[in-house]
Amino acid sequence: MKTLTTLILSGLLLSTPASAGVLEDKNCGSCHRLKAEETEKGFTGPDLHYAGNKFQPEWLKHFLNNPEVIRPAGFVTDPGFLPKTDLPPHISSSKEDANALAQELMDLKISAPTPVTSEPLSKGLRARIKYQFERTFGCISCHQSLNLAGKIRGGISGPSLVNAGNRLQADWVADWLKAPETYTAKRRMPRYKMEPDTLDQFTRFLMTLKKENIK
Amino acid sequence: MIINRKFLLTRIILLTTLVTACGQSEQATPAAKPPTQQEVAEVTQQTPQPKPVQVTEDTRQTYQWYCSQCHGIKGKGDGINAKLLTVPPRNHTKAAYLETRTDEQLFEAIKFGGLSVGRAPCMPAWEHTLEEDAIHSLVRYIRELCDCEAL
Repeated sequence: MKTLTTLILSGLLLSTPASAGVLEDKNCGSCHRLKAEETEKGFTGPDLHYAGNKFQPEWLKHFLNNPEVIRPAGFVTDPGFLPKTDLPPHISSSKEDANALAQELMDLKISAPTPVTSEPLSKGLRARIKYQFERTFGCISCHQSLNLAGKIRGGISGPSLVNAGNRLQADWVADWLKAPETYTAKRRMPRYKMEPDTLDQFTRFLMTLKKENIK
Repeated sequence: MIINRKFLLTRIILLTTLVTACGQSEQATPAAKPPTQQEVAEVTQQTPQPKPVQVTEDTRQTYQWYCSQCHGIKGKGDGINAKLLTVPPRNHTKAAYLETRTDEQLFEAIKFGGLSVGRAPCMPAWEHTLEEDAIHSLVRYIRELCDCEAL
């Protein structure tokens, strides 16, 4: 009984700051869109109102504690987006805060994308999709990724995809490529209409891009 | 890939006919000649052509929003991605090259991507992002930037 009371009390204590939400406490909404109904505010950070659809929780926890630069030029809705380069990394949170923030972020969902397979690609198929990534769709012009030799290549106006396989959920990647307007009204990325097979292979290719493969 | 190429070729051929038709329609109302079944199928998917094409505030904003990522805010080919590309983005203020390109070639480069006109694949296809009207006005804007016309 005593243990139960302690648990309830500690739960209450813990939930006091969380009642408003850690995201609110940390004022995340001053840079990030946290609600679907917020629009046209010129947010300087990426939209997070669908963070639960987009990110892998383990990556979020790690990133919030050990931030790295994913968008050196900032986020596309930032009014100062284009002239900027070499932005500093996101502020770092303690491990506890990072975990709490990640947990709240994972609750922010706006869709239920169709589950896709993130099965690794064969070497041959990977080479083929990499070719399409660079030449057919021109993704590399705006996104950094890893070439077959594990070297970082590509533009920086879009988010880096070097660690996409650890950062993003495969279902979301496929849904974003298929129907980006579900998430953002206006993007700076071209809209593609991929054949279902290409979309599937493309998603799987992006999920092979992981930081640990940098050579 | 083969299917894609075939599809692209068909579209380019159809597009060329459409562009030509559009140029003629500047003088009078569109010709009353009944189109073939194939043309009807394709035409219904196309947006109406602007007459005449103008550079508007929307055009400039479109250029700033999408194109300047690589081509730069002033179109000098010095966008933030420029130095990271294997082939440098076109400098739209240089008449020496741009006057050697026709408006149709510029239109196709934007709509179907660099490869479609034998240029770099770094330039993606904007066919599913921008309406044809917007692409035509971007071509006019590039002409404004280079202060040149096709020779």
